[in-house]
Amino acid sequence: MTVDLRARGASASEPRSREAKTDRRPGERRQLALMLAPYIVGLVGLVLLPAAVTLALAFTEYDLIRRPRWIGVGNLTMLLDDPIFRIALKNSVVFAAIAVPLRLLVALGLALLLHRRTALVGAARTAAAMPIAVPEIAYGLLWLWLFNPLHGPINQVLRLGGTNGLTVFGRTPPQWLTDPVDAQAAIIVMSLFTVGETFIILLVARRALPPEVYELAAIEDATTWDMFRRITLPLLAPVLGLLLLRDTVASFQVSFVPALVVTEGGPPPYATTYLSLFVYRNGFEYLRYGYAAAATLVLLALTLIAVIVQWRMVRRAQRVYGL
Amino acid sequence: MGPEPVAAGEGLVLQGVRASRGRREVLHSIDLAVARGELLVVLGPSGAGKTTLLRVVAGLEPATSGRVSIAGRDVTRLRPGRRNVSMVFQSYALFSHLTVAQNIAFGPLVRDARRAEALQRARAAAAAVGCVHLLDRRPDQLSGGERQRVALARALVREPDVFLLDEPLSNLDIELRAETRAELKALHQRVGATTVHVTHDQVEALVLGDRIAVMREGRLEQVGTPDEIWHAPATTFVARFVGSPRMNLLPGDGPLRPPDAARDAGRTLGFRAEAVRLVPPAGTGSAPDGEPRGAPGDALGVVDRIDVVGEDAYVHLRVESHDVVARVPAAGRPAVGDEVGVSVRWAPGHVFDTATGQRITDR
Repeated sequence: MTVDLRARGASASEPRSREAKTDRRPGERRQLALMLAPYIVGLVGLVLLPAAVTLALAFTEYDLIRRPRWIGVGNLTMLLDDPIFRIALKNSVVFAAIAVPLRLLVALGLALLLHRRTALVGAARTAAAMPIAVPEIAYGLLWLWLFNPLHGPINQVLRLGGTNGLTVFGRTPPQWLTDPVDAQAAIIVMSLFTVGETFIILLVARRALPPEVYELAAIEDATTWDMFRRITLPLLAPVLGLLLLRDTVASFQVSFVPALVVTEGGPPPYATTYLSLFVYRNGFEYLRYGYAAAATLVLLALTLIAVIVQWRMVRRAQRVYGL
Repeated sequence: MGPEPVAAGEGLVLQGVRASRGRREVLHSIDLAVARGELLVVLGPSGAGKTTLLRVVAGLEPATSGRVSIAGRDVTRLRPGRRNVSMVFQSYALFSHLTVAQNIAFGPLVRDARRAEALQRARAAAAAVGCVHLLDRRPDQLSGGERQRVALARALVREPDVFLLDEPLSNLDIELRAETRAELKALHQRVGATTVHVTHDQVEALVLGDRIAVMREGRLEQVGTPDEIWHAPATTFVARFVGSPRMNLLPGDGPLRPPDAARDAGRTLGFRAEAVRLVPPAGTGSAPDGEPRGAPGDALGVVDRIDVVGEDAYVHLRVESHDVVARVPAAGRPAVGDEVGVSVRWAPGHVFDTATGQRITDR
């Protein structure tokens, strides 16, 4: 049946586009080209050209001083043997696997909490969206203070009621910046507050759902959980699927600034060195541009695989719900 | 939650029910009783508070004061799910992500019926409104009339104490509306459930209702059988709202009065377009053979506009400074600009108090 729908959609749009092509007058075309020009210049200059250069550099050795030297797949074989690369790869995958679903959950929770018109809801929505307005470096420095194991507010709160610098349960509070696992958790915690865009999209999507279906559910005495499971979730599923894909792509970048500013890739040696930081260090600190470019290619390939896998999952879910 | 015991004769009772939107009160102390098994149509123009009334009964909006009881139970403080009502929304409120079968089975499923049983009940409900062939489709694959049926089936799947229908026919085209209206009436006669049906369409109200409650600005103007509403409208508002074209209302000291009536500006006289007779004015020479001539006492009117609807012509006249509509056979209609004699058959005349708009029965 999904196939049916798609076939219908395709056949409906095809003649329209052909029609549009023949209808367009030369003046209109020039206008269109003119309006597209800034975007195309940006796309070519900032995305396509660098991507092409990166692709080329991936097969060379280049240190900014000597001319690039062609070494074929040398960088890639080197990457496979590089233990630091493997750690960075693992860190990135673990981060994405935990942070992406959690970020989506946080954004969904906030959207469902704040979609109604109630007192102060405007202020609450602003607060929920605000962290993305803070410059990333400032955001990182802020968390550096928040996470301070001794003087940071987070651990001070965790120590409330405890003695000798321990928590109520007699445990040592997390050593956010010095223990490898705690530091990885810290980077994830940081990422959970910058969900403003996802939150806004979900808020709008939720508010666009017809109120009568919820009223009908209320008349049928559906529980809140039933309404969420049987109405909200399936109706938001297409949006959630798209946001999941987008956030997965973004996740490889979300971890970059925190790792650079807050944990500096540590605790030593490489607890929070993610692929993005690995690329940055190799490129801009060790001047191994070819090597960094090769790592970028791997990052790109991974992203692509993740997106394809998720897309298939989303399609299957949509088929179950018939969307 | 099984079906509650039903007190004999009691369907739905509203006592002094008030409701507000923001600071504005939209229902002003409504008293209304619907007998068990009765189909009551709530009729009124938009903004009269009809839908609010329905939503207060369903519990979707709170009553600020008063009491709502359903089947002998006070439900005023109960949440919608505890009132045992079914509602059909104007927009139908179908779940776009579920099949028709799942849509109809939604209620039983969330009330913890087993899946197979819920789907079987859905099939039975679908059969009752003739949409079994649609069970596997999704709402976006249905026409307006089919959606309406599915919404109806979803209301039928449980055995509610009251059915609440919010303008269920308003989204259908005219032909389908008449057809569905007839089916709705047959369905009600078969199921025999207490039903409150909201509409702004007076024809729908007259055809469907066991009784009609006419609403205006948050108050009930009149509650009565279609015959009572038509033949004895309680107020000038009801008189004008029910009937197309609207009833003619003229002051008691105007040009058209029953022969025995004294001039009385405190009264308003009402007569329907059917009761108006147009004749060539008295004194003009050339009337065709056998046609009645105007009497010298007749009022004179000038034809302003004529709407011809098939066999009928609605002739809009100015009689002195008053507007009067007459329904005459299209074949014998005058022409625009003609001067005609106007007389009224007062047999079922209507007299209202001009100040209050209330009907005066002792004439």
